[in-house]
Amino acid sequence: MIAALTTPYVAWWALVPLITFAVAGFLLLTVASLVRRLPAVLAPAWTAVAGLGVLLYLVPMWSRVGRDGADSFLAGTVGVDRSSIFVTGILAVAVIAAALISRDYLPREDLPGVELYVLLLMSAAGGVVMASANDLIVLFLGLEILSIAVYVLAALHLRRIESQEAALKYFLLGAFSSAFLLYGIALVYGATGSTNMVRISAFLAQNVLVDDAMLLAGLGLLLVGLGFKVAVVPFHAWTPDVYQGAPTPVVAWMAAGVKAAGFAALMRVFVLTLGTYVSDWRPAFQVIAAATVLAGAVVAVVQTDVKRMLAYSSIVHAGFILVGLQAATDRGNSSVLAYLAVYAFLTVGSFAVVTVVSGTGDASHGLDAYRGMGRRHPALAGVFTVLLLGQAGIPFTGGFVVKLGVLAAAVDGGAYWLAGVAMLAAAVAAFVYLRLLVAMYLEEVPSGTETSGAVPLGALVVAVASAVIVLVVGLVPGPLLDLARDAVPVLVAG
Amino acid sequence: MSDYLRNWLTLVVFGGVAVLLVGAFLGLGSLVRPSRQTSQKAVVYESGVDPQGDMWSQSNIRYYVFALMFVLFDVEAVFIFPWATRLEVYDVFGLVEMAIFIFILALGLFYAWRKGLLRWI
Amino acid sequence: MTAVLLASAGTSSFPVLPALVVTPVLGALLVMVLPRRRPELLKLVAVSTAVVTGAMSFWLLSAFKVGDPGFQFLSETPWMGDLGVSLLFGIDGISLFLVILTGLLFPVALLAIDPGHDARPYYAWMLLLEAGVMGVFGALDLIVFFLCFEVVLVPMYFLIGRWGHGNSARAATKFFLYTMAGSALMLVGILALAFLHADATGADISFDLVAIAEAQSLSTGAARWIFAAFALAFAVKVPIFPLHTWLPDAHTEAPTAGSVILAGVLLKLGTYGFLRFGLYLFPEASHYFAPVFLTLGVVGIVYGAIVATMQADLKRLVAYSSVAHLGFIILGTFALNTEGIEGGLLQMVNHGVSTGALFLLVGMIYERRGTRMIGDLGGLQKSAPVLAGVFMVVMLSSIGLPGLNGFVGEFLVLLGAFNAHRWWAVAAAGGVILAALYLLWAYQRVFHGPAEGDNADMPDLGLREALVLAPLLALIVFMGVYPKPVIERMEPAVDSLVRHVEFHVDGFSEPVSQMGSEIGPLDDSHGEHG
Repeated sequence: MIAALTTPYVAWWALVPLITFAVAGFLLLTVASLVRRLPAVLAPAWTAVAGLGVLLYLVPMWSRVGRDGADSFLAGTVGVDRSSIFVTGILAVAVIAAALISRDYLPREDLPGVELYVLLLMSAAGGVVMASANDLIVLFLGLEILSIAVYVLAALHLRRIESQEAALKYFLLGAFSSAFLLYGIALVYGATGSTNMVRISAFLAQNVLVDDAMLLAGLGLLLVGLGFKVAVVPFHAWTPDVYQGAPTPVVAWMAAGVKAAGFAALMRVFVLTLGTYVSDWRPAFQVIAAATVLAGAVVAVVQTDVKRMLAYSSIVHAGFILVGLQAATDRGNSSVLAYLAVYAFLTVGSFAVVTVVSGTGDASHGLDAYRGMGRRHPALAGVFTVLLLGQAGIPFTGGFVVKLGVLAAAVDGGAYWLAGVAMLAAAVAAFVYLRLLVAMYLEEVPSGTETSGAVPLGALVVAVASAVIVLVVGLVPGPLLDLARDAVPVLVAG
Repeated sequence: MSDYLRNWLTLVVFGGVAVLLVGAFLGLGSLVRPSRQTSQKAVVYESGVDPQGDMWSQSNIRYYVFALMFVLFDVEAVFIFPWATRLEVYDVFGLVEMAIFIFILALGLFYAWRKGLLRWI
Repeated sequence: MTAVLLASAGTSSFPVLPALVVTPVLGALLVMVLPRRRPELLKLVAVSTAVVTGAMSFWLLSAFKVGDPGFQFLSETPWMGDLGVSLLFGIDGISLFLVILTGLLFPVALLAIDPGHDARPYYAWMLLLEAGVMGVFGALDLIVFFLCFEVVLVPMYFLIGRWGHGNSARAATKFFLYTMAGSALMLVGILALAFLHADATGADISFDLVAIAEAQSLSTGAARWIFAAFALAFAVKVPIFPLHTWLPDAHTEAPTAGSVILAGVLLKLGTYGFLRFGLYLFPEASHYFAPVFLTLGVVGIVYGAIVATMQADLKRLVAYSSVAHLGFIILGTFALNTEGIEGGLLQMVNHGVSTGALFLLVGMIYERRGTRMIGDLGGLQKSAPVLAGVFMVVMLSSIGLPGLNGFVGEFLVLLGAFNAHRWWAVAAAGGVILAALYLLWAYQRVFHGPAEGDNADMPDLGLREALVLAPLLALIVFMGVYPKPVIERMEPAVDSLVRHVEFHVDGFSEPVSQMGSEIGPLDDSHGEHG
């Protein structure tokens, strides 16, 4: 008689966000295949509702984890803790924002309907897997689900050659980085005998490796693989090209969502799993963080294309997040999460504005397109101003609050030089945002520019909501900081 | 150095010897053999047929799409075979899992069909 | 934040300092919702908001307890719990007059000059600027101080850039980047200070200025490094030679109101920072670095004066005279004795009033003649005698004529510097002579001589302009003749600051007190001014 298979314990309640995203994507694809002519509003509304549903569901999930503690299931390969819930929340927000921005973008560009939304939902599902992975293999799975969807998303603007170029670059480099990551996982497995994060960290805590060359090599390769995804120097070279070429709503998702998932993965792998080797990887992180903020800020200054500017500024932000991450303390982790949250709002709002300004064809991204915007579109320019000041880290915006957090984490850990370098880079980067402000307010409207019409509703909602949230966080930072402080990442054995 | 890495050393030595041997033979050959180039000798070898046209000719994108679809279902088969060998053990659970798996793949095929990718124009 | 602050109003006494910050913010919000096409209404709201704020700041003067060296009007609201940041406000004799100066200059600047275009954002930015400045002078929490210190850049940037003249976008950007880069390291310094303090004392992380300053828990080396980070930020803001290059550009391209506020209030953020966050937090490091700042102060005095002499643009001349005046303030501050610091503090107020008035007058001339070039002007005394008279008084106060306010401050600074470092004081005294040279020479070229062309029929001061200048003139004379009310409120705080510095610097107090006793007690010298 053959014994029946014992299936592992599954905490279905913790899988709801993942399943929601995935099933929403599948259903949308099915419906779109069955029905020839869908109402245009259905797909974005569907996506936004899925995101909203996830966001609402996270509230009871948050309190449940707070009550019962973190958990892990599926034979200990997937975990649920408050940090994964926090990151899932960021992903949901980014999905909603990207869907709203796309609502008017796709008809304007005369692009086919539902694929963007399906891929967006799939990609979000991958992000959720990454944020709650308790096993390196699962982490890799999540990363691939996330990335492959984004490769296709980048190519979605069929008639722009830049979009195709962006997708190809992103795909090739992404595939490389995945290979690095996989090899890193293999080496870590070789050194520790497991791919499970809990077992790896337990093994490293209990055993002292006489010869840790293989583990260190694996650690380095993991860093390379994840470093590509979050775009830190020297693995950042794809960012400006891809951001410039990819459709703008997709860029909003890439900057907000993919980055959040990537940093969540970095945190789980390095701070939690390889925490015992912090003295080995911290110097590398510090050097990378310093190089990232400096290179990003300096190169951003000479850009003339706004999307490229924002791409380099996103590199600077990635460096700032690393400044908090390298501390490898509770303070550092919570500062990273808070930064990711505020950065998500800053970036989706900014790219919402960029989507509107770019005009039909998604082509006008030069500074010229922003000249005199303060006069033509006072409201939109005002919102963009708030977002740019937030990105620059000006006081009383959320940008300052979270920058203060990561700097405090770095200083607390004794990395004074790194904090100093980061602040200097922030001052350099401020020039980039000032250039945009100068173009919007201090330069005259070039003659021959038609006064553009109404601002599409979806993008406007995203931009205004983001700006309001950034301001509110800047003035009343308590709630967000408390959430981020409570969102402690933990590994629980299955 | 650990035993593990020492095993790799064997491989490195072996590879080094291989490269050296091949290099030595080819180098020796190029030293002793006569070398008289003609234009005929530089022509690409295509099983005795005269080569025609540019090497970078384009092939129809549809071949690519069909190849991709084939790979898709090839992979499906790879996953289904091992499942089939352990069918009793997996029981209803396995059935449901496989149904979901095939449903998702079928959804892809369905999507491709509705998109008109299966039609050869 | 507004709600939080207002919530604290329910406590025993009215939280006047938070109100000083919140009132302009509310005014700015109100301005933003008013109709754009009613500039006179916008102006009414803006000016009355500033007047209310100013009235509250003057009320402080009467409620201020004379003779108390500590902080008064304290109010505290927790803000970022995790980092121990709280909205902690309080003033002492050092910040009192800077708050009042701010409360005075903003209504004056708002009333005196109309923006010309885009009135709504203009008034909103001005009021937000006032809120930020009030926040800087009132804050007793290091992070809140830094927040306000940084946030004033944004309104000032837009004021210079949108309502300025000439190449204003460039000047605004230069101003913004210079000051932002300068203060970048200060934030790291603040964090390092707080964490090191928490480590040394075992207390929770906190950015409470008084607690950190009184504990003096840092090692000498760490304190010196962090002081350097602070000092860079303040030195750019003051600005101290050689970091001054943003100042002439910003002043020249700024609108008149911007120049008035920039000279009157914003430059004081740096000098105030040196007093409150340099000397108080890092007495030993301040003493250690004092020779550097004394030298730079003297260089600034002489350099500013020489360059001012050569300016062809009247506004630029006043801007460079600011560099010289601020050199005096730095000199007094780093003399590290009561006379010097008190003189520097007085000079801050004096410079705010006199230079603010000078910029107003230059702005009025520019409004009438459309030029600020000294070469284009001449003989204005005949067509505008009242304006010339006011200009004369303000200019003499700026030179430091006895009987006017400038003299008191300059004298005390020189006295303090002479007691501490004789030769620096001698060199600085040379700067006074140069000041007389460039200002009198400029006055002569602008107002004397034959009036030709448009200069001959330039209108004199109007009623509104006279009304605006009157309080400044009154203050110039009053503080010159009877500075006692000001000094008696400053002195306890300054004294306790000097004691604090002396206490924490080994073997420092003796020579100063000896020199001081030779000259005689300070209180007696007040009578001589009067």
